[in-house]
Amino acid sequence: YCQICINGGISFEYHRYEEMRKALVSVWLQCPSITRIYTVGESYEGRELLVLEMSDNPGIHEPGEPEFKYIGNMHGNEAVGRELLIYLAQYLCNEYQEGNDTIIDLIHSTRIHIMPSMNPDGFEKAASQYIHVWNKLKFLKGIDLNRNFPDLDRIVYMNEKEGGSNNHLLKNMKKAVDENTKLAPETKAVIHWIMDIPFVLSANLHGGDVVANYPYDETRSGSTHEYSASPDDLVFKTLAKAYSSYNPVMSDPNRPACRKNDDDSSFKEGITNGGAWYSVPGGMQDFNYLSSNCFEITLELSCDKFPPEDALKQYWDQNRNSLVNYIEQVHRGVAGFVRDLQGNPISNTSISVEGIDHDITTAKDGDYWRLLGPGNYKVSASAPGYLTVVKKVAVSHSPATRLDFELESLEERKEEEKEELMDWWKMMSETLNF
Amino acid sequence: MASKRVGIVVVLAVISQISAFPTPAGPDDKSMYNRELTEEKPLEQQIAEADSIKKAEPKPTPPAEAESNSEDDDITFLKSLAEKSKESNNETPISDSVDERYGTDEADTTKNRRLADDYDSTKNGMDYKYQDDPESFRQLDGTPLTAHDIVQKIANKIYEEDDRGVFDRIVSKLLKLGLITDSQAETLEYEVAEALQDLITKNAKDNMIGDLSMDYPVNSVKDTQNNMDEEDRPSRRYDDEDEGDDDNGGDDDNGDEEREDEIRDDTVRAEDSWDAVSDGNDRNELNPEDGLQDLQFFPNFYRLLKSLDSEQDKEERETLITIMKTLIDFVKMMVKYGTITPEEGVSYLENLDAMIALQTKNKLGKSLVPLSITPPTGKALDDDDNTKTEAANMQKEYETLKDSTKDVQTAAEISDNIAHEKLLHFCTDQFLCSVEDYDLSKLRDFMDQQVDAYIDKGILEKDEGDVIKRIYGSL
Repeated sequence: YCQICINGGISFEYHRYEEMRKALVSVWLQCPSITRIYTVGESYEGRELLVLEMSDNPGIHEPGEPEFKYIGNMHGNEAVGRELLIYLAQYLCNEYQEGNDTIIDLIHSTRIHIMPSMNPDGFEKAASQYIHVWNKLKFLKGIDLNRNFPDLDRIVYMNEKEGGSNNHLLKNMKKAVDENTKLAPETKAVIHWIMDIPFVLSANLHGGDVVANYPYDETRSGSTHEYSASPDDLVFKTLAKAYSSYNPVMSDPNRPACRKNDDDSSFKEGITNGGAWYSVPGGMQDFNYLSSNCFEITLELSCDKFPPEDALKQYWDQNRNSLVNYIEQVHRGVAGFVRDLQGNPISNTSISVEGIDHDITTAKDGDYWRLLGPGNYKVSASAPGYLTVVKKVAVSHSPATRLDFELESLEERKEEEKEELMDWWKMMSETLNF
Repeated sequence: MASKRVGIVVVLAVISQISAFPTPAGPDDKSMYNRELTEEKPLEQQIAEADSIKKAEPKPTPPAEAESNSEDDDITFLKSLAEKSKESNNETPISDSVDERYGTDEADTTKNRRLADDYDSTKNGMDYKYQDDPESFRQLDGTPLTAHDIVQKIANKIYEEDDRGVFDRIVSKLLKLGLITDSQAETLEYEVAEALQDLITKNAKDNMIGDLSMDYPVNSVKDTQNNMDEEDRPSRRYDDEDEGDDDNGGDDDNGDEEREDEIRDDTVRAEDSWDAVSDGNDRNELNPEDGLQDLQFFPNFYRLLKSLDSEQDKEERETLITIMKTLIDFVKMMVKYGTITPEEGVSYLENLDAMIALQTKNKLGKSLVPLSITPPTGKALDDDDNTKTEAANMQKEYETLKDSTKDVQTAAEISDNIAHEKLLHFCTDQFLCSVEDYDLSKLRDFMDQQVDAYIDKGILEKDEGDVIKRIYGSL
């Protein structure tokens, strides 16, 4: 029993709950200045939903610093994601200490949250009973957490037809979430987490296939397969490819399907639209996009949901570069601050991009991050009581283009207009000798 | 809920003689959405259709809800199928074209599916042979298997082939042909999974000792991480009881007591069975049922035991085992009464095992020669000496254990020192070593604070936190 394992070596094996906890503690002990462990809440059986945070100032949101999250193992028997995230935490700490500039820059400029397991209860069941022989486990009383989120897709589809908001659709959070008895404690905890931290980019890790899946997951018509594009379809395709292209298995065009009769006709270059693959209502991915500013994709990382332990290293090798590269995608598009004329931050400002029917909002410090692919855009910032400002901007591949807004409040504008009027009147009177 | 799926399994298991199988549908998520086709024909209706083809047993009473299907239905169904196949005696295999037919249009399979055809074995050719084929669902004497048997058979096959594909093949065929619904497939899965679980547990127990002693590296003390994992898999009980969870303080006591009793009882049995065991059945040499579960975690001790496998060594062996078990019990007692922490107990025992490795090396170097060369009388003498030497060694160790607290603290100190050294590697971390900020007391306070917060939130255990604080305090 290694009381304090600070050797930094990654051992590619399965981690049960205690082992996972200890592994994260090890990373924290090895890199205490750039990491922090916290818990988002408890699972049904009382296990902590542990998160390891990595940034140059752990525990603090630095204005302008984008927030990123990885969530694994939301299906308890899909084990690879959980393990990869534990290895990733160790890896980032090791690389940081060894002076890897890319990793150092990433950790200094991003706040990375890693939750290896959203369903620790499910994992314990899967691991204890079946290990690799039986990798499909269902539980009588189990809830599929990826169908447990409030279904906001339906609302947005309605709004598309009848008019209505295109973002932040979770109204009345207390009733919708805290008083909703159908939500599992894990779901509730994660929803609170999403509301508390202004996440910009995220991925949730699954198993059972190999593809990067992006919104929308639920089909518009309700049919089982239908391409269901979100307003940010182009951005999501770029994000998904940013993951898949570094994973040799995922991006292999000749990869055989996981099971002989699988229908992976919707997979192209290792990515797929959710609805085109199959409809999923109540999933966490779409919930992120429609309730908050966070763009999330779903990563399926292994044909085998709970592969033998000796396969884990190989999955790490396949995914390591993708995992790091995907985090870097958070630094794309436009980002900046919205302030009033006195320099005070204006939170909850809507940032709209012309041609994309999905707005995001500024966080408490007036900071925002709008992911976009390269191109020219018209971006506007509007807040209640303020005059909207529109700016043109050219966006490159990376890094994000800085774009700040100074908004004039309506009151100020009225005052100005009054003054202008007075000036004009004065001038007129002088000229006309009133 | 019990066994309605069994009846269906029989039908399709019969059909499953075929070699080429469609593999089952994709991830969990999918199964719920591609299966609407199977909802349409509830089991009873299918049974009814099947029965209508040929003379049949009395039909199962159609229940109001599908869920209330009873054992009787299944047995009836089974019987009816058995009779049907007895009659048909058909050799025609199902051709690949049939597979294709069912594989193409998943969306609207109601049109394609002809259940009457499926059940008419003359057309589909259920290849029913009465041999002892693991895929067949009959016993050797031709009587149909019970639901339980079938589940067991599937589980056995999966276990042997180490391949869940066995189940998938059967179920996907069943589902594709619409003979079971999704929920029935789930139920079947549960049953088989449970059976499989039992198999794994049972076999793991039987093979545990043999397997573990193969897997352990020689320097098991250093390779602590591996130790933990090995311990986890075969005998979680050990891990649970010695984890030292604060919550389970009470439970640990009970568990320890029970195990102590069990071991004492089993020790008696073990001694009785030595003769049989030493007949050279290596894998089951140390049957865990004989209460030697504890000893499996001491690979060097095992090696030592193994080297004493001749008739003359029997007494020495028994002495060794007794002494070792006493040591283990002693340590367990100390943990139970809080004299040492579980971690310290474990590391003490691991150190002990390492010491045994050393002793074994020395001993084997000396003893093998006299044992093989000297004549019976001389041998007996040497044996006694060896036994005494070994016993003396063990006794020495045992006596050092009596001064337990000191020894155990040494072990703890050793692990602390190692950790201390590793902690110094922190200096690569800029927080700790940056010229401007380096202030040991500040660091200590910061870590103390963090540790307390983590203990509060359940991220760290109290004893882990104490160790960390102690180490930082000693910097």
